[in-house]
Amino acid sequence: MKKRKGITRLAAIAMACILILAAFIVISYITQFKESGRQTGFTVIDDYERAITVPKNPQRIISLAPGCTEIIFAVGLGTKVVGVDDYSNYPEAAKNITKIGSYLSPNLEVMVLSEPDLILASDMTSKEYITSLEEKNLTVFILAPKAIQGIIRDIRLVGIIGNKTKEADNLINSLEQRINVIASKTKSNTLYTPRVYLEYYPYWAYGPGSFGNDLISMAGGKNIAATAASAYSEVASEFIVSSNPELIIFTIGPYVSTTTKDIKSRTGWDRISAVRNNKIYAIYDDIISRPGPRIVDALEQLAKMIHPELFPSK
Amino acid sequence: MKTNFEKKYLKWNFIFIGLLMTLFFTLIITITIGSVGPIGSGNPERIPMQAVWDILIGKSRLWPDSYKTIIMDIRLPRILLAALAGCALAVSGVVMQGIFRNPMADPFIIGLSSGAAVGASISILLGLSISIGIYSTPFLAFVGAGLTIFGVYFIARSRGKVRAETLLLTGIAIGSFLTAVTSFLMYVANEQFRFLFFWLLGGLYKASWNTVAIAFSLILLGVVIIQFFARDLNAMVLGEEPAMHLGIDTKSMKKILLIFSSLVTGTAVAFTGIIGFVGLITPHIMRILVGPNHRILLPASALTGAILLIWSDTIARTILSPTEIPVGIITAFCGAPFFVYLLQKSKKGKR
Repeated sequence: MKKRKGITRLAAIAMACILILAAFIVISYITQFKESGRQTGFTVIDDYERAITVPKNPQRIISLAPGCTEIIFAVGLGTKVVGVDDYSNYPEAAKNITKIGSYLSPNLEVMVLSEPDLILASDMTSKEYITSLEEKNLTVFILAPKAIQGIIRDIRLVGIIGNKTKEADNLINSLEQRINVIASKTKSNTLYTPRVYLEYYPYWAYGPGSFGNDLISMAGGKNIAATAASAYSEVASEFIVSSNPELIIFTIGPYVSTTTKDIKSRTGWDRISAVRNNKIYAIYDDIISRPGPRIVDALEQLAKMIHPELFPSK
Repeated sequence: MKTNFEKKYLKWNFIFIGLLMTLFFTLIITITIGSVGPIGSGNPERIPMQAVWDILIGKSRLWPDSYKTIIMDIRLPRILLAALAGCALAVSGVVMQGIFRNPMADPFIIGLSSGAAVGASISILLGLSISIGIYSTPFLAFVGAGLTIFGVYFIARSRGKVRAETLLLTGIAIGSFLTAVTSFLMYVANEQFRFLFFWLLGGLYKASWNTVAIAFSLILLGVVIIQFFARDLNAMVLGEEPAMHLGIDTKSMKKILLIFSSLVTGTAVAFTGIIGFVGLITPHIMRILVGPNHRILLPASALTGAILLIWSDTIARTILSPTEIPVGIITAFCGAPFFVYLLQKSKKGKR
């Protein structure tokens, strides 16, 4: 009994010490972060609908996603880029820029040392991570477009921020023109829309709300996975067979090595119309999955696959 | 007899001070290791050794501001968080193995990690970190872990008694159930999927002075209180009945130890995600090295856990520089072979 009392007293003393120590740490923390620099610039709304004060004419840009990198280069700001994520491989010049790690957990030390005045990130980087960047007094602007119109808007924003409005407008004009060429022919009510299965990984298809889904309907097709549970959805083989797609399109890239032979040899797929009629096509993954200007390339390629009669290859 | 006793104390002091010094040197050395140097790939630029020293002794004005931010606001909090998390996981590993008398027990065995994961998934899926605040994910992870522990405890209780075996099995069952919930949520998650997946892999990239301050107070509190139960844990090793005969209230002792080890583990999990292996192997390594007496086993494991996790994280953030890899890969990759080596060695010694 006596010993118990001793322990309780000791525990009480220890707890008191710890609480005092904790209070001390919290206070020193609060006083430490009082000073924070305010920067001059203007306020723009990003794709998370946050008002971000961005510097006028940024000179040191870091891109945290391949799509952001492609937009930055496309409007002519490539020379201002001081860091890109590991997956930014387009255009060629982006490959020689300092790598700052994966977009999931970019390397904070390298980023801070690069002293960026603007960081462009996508929704692939977690919000917690973005907050921790902002705690280091870095400016993060999010480009997370949900549809092709969103990409156009983001190109315009990056042009405005980087003082390249003319370049951005020219790019947007040419992209919209190319989109209109496709849309003018596929928007017709009398057009037959073939069923399309578009997979980006064996048995994983672009579902509702994904770029792939939008592109198929813009190119005049009907996505069989349009009613799937999520934008990036695993689909059952029997569902694909019973949907009987007239076209099968698969992506190829560094992480997918599907071949036409693989598709044909899947059990039961010999009954699918696309397999019987040999309408199996490959598309480059980077152009269809990244929210950048090259999405229009993907649209043109899909349109040619789905409606060769409307868009004969030259 | 007395000299023997004194010898033991001397040895304990020696071990404790030795480990404390190792931890200190680990801190000093790892603060100089990173993607931007002084020790490391040094791309795009290398911070000179002199700069690190100047910043540490408060003469940071001689160097660019970015150096100070990197050393003091990025690297140091991360190392400290690694130390705290390692300490927490190792100590609750010792406690779990002690009260369950099971060498396979670790801080995650009674469903703690699965509960934390469910809490975190809910926060990530609902996007609470934007609408409420960035600490909503760690907070919900902590709540999830706590609720799970108490759920398991009350389910396992029968006629006022809680047997360690029942507790263990209930924990495993509830844990599998909650893992299934998380997996299902991941499928529904859609775009948030990869964040959740990444969170579950564990990592110390979320460290800041803020997280260090919270983790420090909670983990130190838990670890110190657990230390007071070292003698009771020693008795528990003999078995529940003998411990009761020695006059230990095993029921309330188990309850208190469970509360405080979930406090420390929950705090660690909340800020670092799930880092496996440290909690399982550190107690075993230390049992081989310093013996089974919890009075030295607990502090020795705490310090060793801290040292192990600091080094693992240092490797994780530099080995593929500038890309960072989940620290759990390193803890398992280095921990497992070392553990097997020690196991073999101790077997040979006994023969």
